[in-house]
Order: sequence, then C-alpha cells, then structure tokens
Amino acid sequence: MITLNINGKTHSVDTPDDTPLLWVTREQLQMTGTKFGCGAGLCGACTVHLNGEAVRSCQTSVKQAATGKITTIEGLGGKHPLQKAWIAEQVPQCGYCQSGQIMQAAALLAKTTSPTKEQVIEHMDGNLCRCMTYGRIQRAVLRAAADMRSEKGA
Amino acid sequence: MTKMEKISSSSVISRRSFVIGTAASGIVLGYASLPGGASFAQGAAKFEPSVWYSIGVDGKVTVVSGKAEMGQHVASTMAQLIAEELEADWKNLKIVFPTNDPKYNDPLLGAQITGGSWSTRFNFDAMCRAGAAGRITLIQAGATMMNVPESECTARNSQVMHRSGKKLTYAQIVAGGKANKTWTPDELKAITLKTKDQYRLIGQAVAQLDIPPKADGTAKFGIDGFVPGMLYGALALPPVRYGATVKSVDDTDAKKVKGFVKAVTLEDKTATTTGWVVAVASDYTAAKMAAAALKITYDKGPNANVSDQTILDEAKRLQKDPDAGLPFVQAGDAAGAMGSAAKVLEAEYTTSINIHAPLEPMNALAEEKGGLWHIYTGNQFPTRTGGIAAAALGVDPKTVVMHNSFLGGGFGRRLDADMVIPAVLAAKAVGKPVKVIYTREDDMAVDFTRPLTYQKVKAGLDQSGKLVALLHDVVCAWPTARWGIPDFLTPSADKKGSLDGFAVNGADFWYTVPNHSVRTVLNELAQKATPSGQLRSVAPGWTFWAVESMIDELAAAAGKDPVDFRLAMLDGAGANAVGAKRLANALRTAVGRSGYGVQPLPRNHGIGVACVSSQDRASATWTACAAEVEVEPTGKFKLNKLSIAMDMGTAVNPDGVRAQIEGSAMWGVSIALYEQAHIKDGALQVANFDTYTPLRMSQMPELDISIIANGGAPSGCGEPAVTVVAPAIANAIFNAVGARVRSLPITAEAVKAAMKT
Repeated sequence: MITLNINGKTHSVDTPDDTPLLWVTREQLQMTGTKFGCGAGLCGACTVHLNGEAVRSCQTSVKQAATGKITTIEGLGGKHPLQKAWIAEQVPQCGYCQSGQIMQAAALLAKTTSPTKEQVIEHMDGNLCRCMTYGRIQRAVLRAAADMRSEKGA
Repeated sequence: MTKMEKISSSSVISRRSFVIGTAASGIVLGYASLPGGASFAQGAAKFEPSVWYSIGVDGKVTVVSGKAEMGQHVASTMAQLIAEELEADWKNLKIVFPTNDPKYNDPLLGAQITGGSWSTRFNFDAMCRAGAAGRITLIQAGATMMNVPESECTARNSQVMHRSGKKLTYAQIVAGGKANKTWTPDELKAITLKTKDQYRLIGQAVAQLDIPPKADGTAKFGIDGFVPGMLYGALALPPVRYGATVKSVDDTDAKKVKGFVKAVTLEDKTATTTGWVVAVASDYTAAKMAAAALKITYDKGPNANVSDQTILDEAKRLQKDPDAGLPFVQAGDAAGAMGSAAKVLEAEYTTSINIHAPLEPMNALAEEKGGLWHIYTGNQFPTRTGGIAAAALGVDPKTVVMHNSFLGGGFGRRLDADMVIPAVLAAKAVGKPVKVIYTREDDMAVDFTRPLTYQKVKAGLDQSGKLVALLHDVVCAWPTARWGIPDFLTPSADKKGSLDGFAVNGADFWYTVPNHSVRTVLNELAQKATPSGQLRSVAPGWTFWAVESMIDELAAAAGKDPVDFRLAMLDGAGANAVGAKRLANALRTAVGRSGYGVQPLPRNHGIGVACVSSQDRASATWTACAAEVEVEPTGKFKLNKLSIAMDMGTAVNPDGVRAQIEGSAMWGVSIALYEQAHIKDGALQVANFDTYTPLRMSQMPELDISIIANGGAPSGCGEPAVTVVAPAIANAIFNAVGARVRSLPITAEAVKAAMKT
C-alpha cells in the first residue's frame, strides 16, 4: 500500500511502487482533470504539483509522489486567478491540455509575481497545445499575474 | 450568398442527405428504451419544442449538440443560434451531447458527422427555426396565463412581457405546463426569422459554454469514461501500418504480469485494423506491460516494402500515364492552349505525410448491457462509427449506442472508427467492459494520415503575361473514398467516373483561366499502405500549396507584382461571379494590413501572399494571407508575422471565429515548417512528440487577423487558414531571396539549395 496526499486528502492505493502517479490519479482515484498525452514527459498534459513544483505525473512514480504534497487541477479550487483568467481570455479550445497548462503556469506565478512575456514563454514551452491556443495562454498568464498582484496590493 | 452558390451548395447537400439519410433511417434504434430515454431536461415538467433543446422549470435551456465539440465551440454556437430566436438569456444556456440516435442527425447531411467546416453553415437555419418555434409557443402560453392577447406580448431575456408591464419568466411559463406545442416541419418552415438588424446575440462574442469546465478540470472527455467492473486494454501493434496478420501469440511472459486477463487477437471483419492484439488487464499500467510482454509473430503482408520513395515513384509513374485518373476540372482546351503559349512553366509540388496527433490519444470504452452495446468515446462521426462497431461485432447497428463527450482534439482524426474495434472485440472476448487507451506511440503509428501528395502543374502565359492555360495533376491517396460511402464521392468532370473531391478540391479555384484542366489520380500503393484520413482542411491543404505557389512563379515569370497578378485574375467573370470579388477583397485586406509595398523591406526580408477559397466551391470561405519572413544566407529563415483576412459571411461569435483563425493559422505554420512523418518498410516512422514536433509557444509568429463579415450565409472558419499559410510563407521566401521551395515542410536545407540555383 502506498499513501498519497492529494489536494490535502490522504489516499491509500494498492499498486506497484513504479506505477506512474498519472494512472493512479486518473484511473484508480478517478480524478480525471489530469490528462494523459504522451507518457514521456514531452507534452505537459499530465502536469501536477509535487511540493509546489510542476512535475509531469506520467514521469513521477507513486513512490516518489508519496514523499510530498500533490496538487492536481481539482485542488486549484476553480477560483484561482489563472482559472478566472483562462475564462476571461477564452483560452481553451478542445481543452484537453489546459489542466496541464494551468498547473504549469500556477507553479510559475507562485514564485514569479511579475513574469515577462519571455519568462512565460520559457516556462510554458514544454506544454503542447495541439489547438495552438498559445497566444491566449500567454495573455491569460500575464492577466492572472496582474490580478494576483493587485489582489495582494488591495 | 449568391444565387449560384446557393444552388450548388444545396445540390451537394441533397445528394449527401439522400443516401446517408436513407441508410440512417433504417436505424431507428432501441434508444427510446434507454433509461431516461434521450431526454435531457431534469424534472417532470419541461418544454421540449424541438429535439435540439428543452427548457426546464428552472428556465435553463439545455441544448443538445449533434455537432461534436472538439475545440470549435460549435455546441456553443448552436446554442447561440437557438438563443437568438428563442430570446433566451445567455446565462440560462447549457449544452449536452446526444447518443447516435438518428433524430440528432445533421438536418442537411442526414448523419451525425462533424467536419468540413460545415456545421454553422448547414445548421444555421434549423437552429434558428427551432429557437423561434420555442419563442412563439412561450409567448402564446404566457399570454394565456396572463390573460392578455398574444399580439400584445413580446419576448426578451427569457421573459414574456405584455405591453401593460405584466410579465412572466420562461421558468414560470414552463412550470405552468401550457407551453407544449409540437411543431411540424411545414410549420417550422413557415416561421419568419429575424433579419440581420434584429440580431441581439448573433454577432456578439458571448462567453463560450464549453470553456468553464475546461478551466477547472471537470470537462469529461472520452478517456474519462468509467463503468463498474471495467478492465483495461492496451494495444500490441504489428510492424507495418496496414496489411499484417497475426500468425501466433505467445502470452507466457504476459501471464507473469499481475492483473493480466487475456490477449485478444482482433478478428476485424471491417478491415479497419489489421494484425492488432489487445492485452486486457485489471489496470492500464498492467495492460501496457502485458502488451509489451506478448511475443507475436506476423505475416507483414503486401505493404512491408512501402516507403516515402516508393509512394513518390509510383505517383510520378501515374502522373506520366495519360490514362490514369479522372478529370476534376475541364474548362476550354488547356493542352491545346499550352501549345500556343508564349511562355510555359512546369513544376512539381509535394507535401509530406502528416499525422493528426490530437492531444487526447484514441480511446474507447465498450460495455454490453441489456442487449445493447454502449460505447463511450469522443467521435466526429458517430453514425458511421457505431455502424463499424456493429459490423465488427456482427450485431444489429440498432443495438450499438454511441455516447459522445468532449473530444480532446479532432482535426479529422475522430471521423474514423478504429478506436472502437479493440474496445468492442476485447469486451466481447472477456465478457466484461473494457476501456482501451492507445499509447501516444500507438496513436501515431496507426494514424489515418494526411497522405503524401505529388502534384505536377504546367502553365502557359501569353505574350502579355496573362495566364491562358493551366494543367494540374494531383496524385495521392484518397481520404474519403476509403469510407466506402458512395455519397461522399463526386462525379468526374466528364461524368465517366466517381472521384474523391476531398483529394482534389481547391484546385477548382476562382481565378479566371480560360483553359484549365485538373486531373485527380488515386495512388493505390499509398492508399493501401497508409490509409489516409481527413486532416484539418484536407485537400485544400495541398492543392492550394501547388496552385498558390505556381501563381507566384507565374507572376515572377511575367514580371508582374504577385498581388496585382492575382487581382487581375479575380475578375468575377462567369461562374466566378461574386466569389472571386470577395476573395479579391480578402486579399486586399490582408495585403493592406501587412504594409506590403509601403516601403522597401530590409535586406533578406520578404512578404509573400496567397489567397484561397477553402474548403470547397460550394461552401467557400474567402481567406488571404500575407507572410513576412527573413532569410539568412544559410537558408535558415524566421517567420515574423502573418496577416490573415477572412470573409466568412456572418461571424456568429466573432471571438470564436478569431480563436479558430488563430488556431488554424498556427496549425498551418506547424505543417508548413515543423511537422513531417515518413513511412519506411511499411511503418510510419513516428513515435512521440520528440520525433513528431508540432509548433510550440516559442515558435509562434506575430499574428494579425481581419474578420470580414459583410453578411450572407456563415461559412466555416476552422480550416481555411490552415491552407493559406504554407504558400504565403514559400512566396515570402521567394520574395526575400529569390529561392523557390516546392516541398512541404519547408526546410532550411531546401531554401539553401534553392538559393544556389
């Protein structure tokens, strides 16, 4: 048995140590916001946070994940400034990559309150969007950063 | 819309709806026996004026989208059309997706199919009428409830108002139970719809209904399906794309994997798949390990030696054979006029194999329950896909129920049905529900590709530099012929045969060229080895690559400006009336926005133009692009900016249109510069996103979009930009350094080589 702390809740799962966190989260625990895209850490659709860092859950074993706090898109709460910005900028098309995009961006904004466009591109470049919504993703990340700054200032 | 356009588009439609409609009407299914039927509104009291929506006692309007939602926000667009005439408050709208019940078929296509950039155009009228019928009924019921004359009532924002100030909400009227009129088709047809100046929602960038669940992870895709007791299936695929058979399966090592249940060799009667084995296990990781542990021997079949080169060699051989293929366009006497031309140009254009690679890999969950087969997957063509599943199972198509959901990318890939085959056959073999998920590598290896295409174009200019003769041969696999639906084929220009318009359309462009012949030739070798599919924009993605490159070459040969050269041929003469002029305006707009010709560009910078009428003449969208590049002496080049102008008649949701142009333009860049698949030894040489590399954020050029919507029927906006970008880039490279490239994708090596010549 492996114990996982996901979004502040403890889950015990019966699975081999090397099982990717992705499949346990999605298929065993049925938290399906985290998506399978490539299984090789090349697309970012499965991005979650492990101790606040963005990681590819397809490349993270449950054994590694058991060492820390895991946050998935479900744990972001739906009202995160990035999620609001994603709606304001009407970012998603098919939507499949967007959980991963948002989690990747959230890790950036947690540390960098005023990212430049170049920093956004560098941080987000590992996340594929096959619908090519990149322009809107950029705008939404910058909008959310501004919103977070003004919230703090208020 | 011009009269001519209307006639030609409706003739296309009726031809399609006849055959498909006839086939579909045979499957009036056991859907009604499903628990809850196909009714979507909650609660007992509701108002369902049409199959397309219902209104609950809470006033919520639940729209059933027969159109697959794969990122085009099309379900939201259907809701917007209904809400316009229904006078419903946008915040009350919801969308759901139906089963493959024929009652949700596209009213014009006679099937549930989403593609061709057709959805808004073909459903505009039906959705508006459905909405208007609801409004009229609600006004009647509301007037009765308020005891006032109906003629003194109006509807707005989900309320019926009497001129006295009395009012009732739609929720109150539905709860009152008096809104229950059923409309006949004739009554619907008799409704007078709003005129453009009366629109309140059409033309507004209302928030897309599918977006909120895609921002919080709650949107359900096919891969997110679960049923109790289900097992998982992973594929073991043969070493060739198509044509292999399994000789033996040794599961000794697979049996050592904990949770392994069974290896199922697919006996696929539909021949959609060949030589596939599914490893079934209790969870997906185990299924994958078991699939990898199977020792399978194959007969590789007849395509094991096929490569890019053999396909290209065969294409060239076919092109040289005057008896091959069928005529698609026959105007004047192109061969004769060529003989008397003052100057003749000849060129070959090719495009590589490309794959769809939607980010959600193919998957399907199949369960047999109570004599029905339930299939959960996101699909663009549930009518056919359900039929294929039935054929694979050997059951009555009436007993296969497709449950659609959001599609994690479609792009044409999910028009196909292969993903249901392993799910249903494995579920049948183990007697339990099975969810099959392709790995990314599987998904790429068995893609129904954009085919490798070869085109030969020969063009003749007269003394004055006017294009007087054009011979255009298009040789490739035929994407749609593979489906075996005769109605999707088009009679050849000489009426002697049927051709696949989806292999050649676009070549029937809107330029006035007095002598114009287009021939389309099926490359059987490619067809068999790499069954081709519909990849976003399909034929116009390659035909305009050739046409718009050659037009540029001709302008240069005639010593004319490429914009002026095009505009002169977009004269709107004869059959090109109206359309050519709209295209000319789109071209002027894009070129103007780009700053073309305003001042000299820096050295090695260039602007190239292209204009297209994708998708086909009957449903054209007028699209033009000006691309700006800078080219280094090494051949390396940078795409700085695209200026795109599109005339789609009516933009129902301008922000949705913009999003589609953004995405499709970048898709066009990706195909022009970054994506390429090869076939070798009969196998697609693709593995994952390290070897097949769609555009990433850092590779985006600047993008300027102009939406022209001067009225007329709405045409599609999700595909045309794909087709205009590549020739514009190639023409820009020529404009910058005089290097002509004729193969997609465009590489620095090819540019460098062309610079030397």
